[in-house]
Amino acid sequence: MAAEAPVDFAALQSLLKASSKDVVRQLCQESFSSSALGSKKLLDITCSSLSVTQEEADQLIRSLHRLTRLVAYRDLTAGEEILALFPENFHQNLKNLLTKIIMEHVPAWRKEAQANQISLPRLVDLDWRVDVKMASDSITRMAVPTCLLQMKIQEDASLCGDKPAISAVTMELSKETLDTMLDGLGRIRDQLSAVANK
Amino acid sequence: MAADSQTPVELTMEELCQPPLEAKSELLDLQWKMGMAVSSDNCRSLKSPYVALMLKVADQSGQITNKSFEMTIPQFQHFFKQFKEMAAVIETV
Repeated sequence: MAAEAPVDFAALQSLLKASSKDVVRQLCQESFSSSALGSKKLLDITCSSLSVTQEEADQLIRSLHRLTRLVAYRDLTAGEEILALFPENFHQNLKNLLTKIIMEHVPAWRKEAQANQISLPRLVDLDWRVDVKMASDSITRMAVPTCLLQMKIQEDASLCGDKPAISAVTMELSKETLDTMLDGLGRIRDQLSAVANK
Repeated sequence: MAADSQTPVELTMEELCQPPLEAKSELLDLQWKMGMAVSSDNCRSLKSPYVALMLKVADQSGQITNKSFEMTIPQFQHFFKQFKEMAAVIETV
């Protein structure tokens, strides 16, 4: 969604009804999440904890979501940068509180944003086992080592909403294939070192 | 095709759930690239390296599929480490 969508600062005034700073902090955190805008639960909690109408709660959550996303998008870490976002006549104490809360959370929010951004599927699990094949329908006695490998791959979370699909692929690798694989991975490792040293 | 015997000797090094033996594929090819994410709709400025792999696997019917996925650098290092462990174990049997 548009990270630079305009923030309705007037809607943030509802936060003045919060009973404590923790309530404000909690709301900021909940509003950042990508599921915040559709969440009936968050709407209801906000209504009751701040004693505001559904519409005021909705506008508040929307504004907080846009504000927190904006800061994460631009990676604003300095207090002055965040303070500068607020309009001139904005409630001084609330502005300072929000700035403080946001500053504390920006690194975590950026991490969360990056974890949820568009990407290729991700490897979520890797299981393996080494077997020795002792006999088969064509050979009565042998001792062939073989590696069984199972990878669980999760589809892009941002495309699948809350329940991204996980597919498993199970492979049998001979020693030779495993060595070749290791060679390939070693080359990636070498490239990583080369890039890291630049 | 060779099939596993009824009682294969298991040299299990990890306590993990057993992969279903019937669904084994063969690894045909591994392709990779390294990239750096520089910007996204969530973060205007990024410097986030990643490794993307594509495995070409043939299932038992011969059908070939590509499995692509990406990893962060720490994830890749863990991935590499596990393959080294496998190779070490397979040497000992």
